[in-house]
Amino acid sequence: MTDDTETPDGLAAEYVLGTLGADERAQAEVLIRDDPGFARLVRGWERRLGELNVMVHPVEPPAGTWEPIQARIGDAAPSIAPHPGEAAPAATAGNVVDLSARLGRWRRAAGGLAALAAVLLGLVATQLFNPAALPGLLRPKPIDIANAPVNPGRFVAVLQQNAASPAFILTVDVATRTASVRRVSAEQPAGKSYELWLVSDRFPGPRSLGLVGATEFARPALANYDPATISGATYAVSLEPEGGSPTGAPTGPVLYAGKLVESVPP
Amino acid sequence: MLSAQELVWLMAAVAKGDRAAFERLYAATRAKLYGVVLRILRRQDLADEVMQETYLKIWNSAGQFDPALASPITWMVAIARNRAIDLVRKKTEVSIEEESDVFEFAADTPDPLAKREMTEALERLLACMAKLDEERRRLVLFAYYHGWSREQLAARFETPVNTIKTWLRRALRDIRECLDA
Repeated sequence: MTDDTETPDGLAAEYVLGTLGADERAQAEVLIRDDPGFARLVRGWERRLGELNVMVHPVEPPAGTWEPIQARIGDAAPSIAPHPGEAAPAATAGNVVDLSARLGRWRRAAGGLAALAAVLLGLVATQLFNPAALPGLLRPKPIDIANAPVNPGRFVAVLQQNAASPAFILTVDVATRTASVRRVSAEQPAGKSYELWLVSDRFPGPRSLGLVGATEFARPALANYDPATISGATYAVSLEPEGGSPTGAPTGPVLYAGKLVESVPP
Repeated sequence: MLSAQELVWLMAAVAKGDRAAFERLYAATRAKLYGVVLRILRRQDLADEVMQETYLKIWNSAGQFDPALASPITWMVAIARNRAIDLVRKKTEVSIEEESDVFEFAADTPDPLAKREMTEALERLLACMAKLDEERRRLVLFAYYHGWSREQLAARFETPVNTIKTWLRRALRDIRECLDA
């Protein structure tokens, strides 16, 4: 077929997404090194898609991962100038590095944070940097692969009237039964409140999860529901009198609804 | 909990050769990066190898990190994903089905980055992805989280590889148009 997507931007996008085979990856890496325009496209895609990392569940690496890294950085100071061929993906546009501009940027970034960081590093040093100093129960445990519970995943529901107008975005962590919901595009009519409902065939009627504020994150109350109910339910938003439904059931129109989809595929 | 700004500060110290800062950066980011590479590699020995290469590269390249272009964690995850994907592409003998259900991991400790609110940029991205067909959205998510090639996606989705390529490129183009709108 005539392919309107056979463009440098398409190649850059697929490189960042990670779907290229070894040969095409190698070609893309040559372009990143030699073609500043292509490198810019790659950086753009890293910025667009990179946010997806937020949804990845952290996993503690096994004990002993740090020591080889520490040994390999040895006594050599890191080079501020890039190593040839060792350029980072986000910073490969120019092979000429304007060192003074870079240092100036660092000073600006670092200067404003110095006071905060001084306080913070003390905390970090005990809480994160030296986990061995913590009492046993607080210390990170090496993961037990064979007995690790199945990761129930994070879910996202886009509550909308139609595909073109997402109105609220609900994210749910089924493992911790925590959630947040945020208004994206719905108008806030004066004197009314949006109320979020859980609709499940396990209950005779919708269960209120609380009001969705005008601008702030709301924290729907999911703690009383089991994971299967949470992941199988439909979530709906109705327009209610200010302060919420007076009856405990939706009284106003149900404007937006959606089901959870797993945001990190199994 | 370390914010992106605090990580920027640590990166600046690492760029100057501060080993203690590097160890703090490692402590603050290791679980996120390990989670990312383990999903792609699905083998602990390979994940350990990629973790070493990734942090060496971070140590050597910290001076190139530009806080105006990316957040530290996005920059670090991009390095880790690139290393992991390069490794799986070269190890074609590693079947994607191998050990497929043994390697479902859960977080066993709270991570300083994990409890962060969903960012506005992520919300915008998810809203744009919500406009894609369900199958194309799944295609993009599988590719991102598992690092699957077109060939692997073609096998999984039982669709010819050229069609997968077209779907991917159009989905990505649609995402870009939506985000840039």
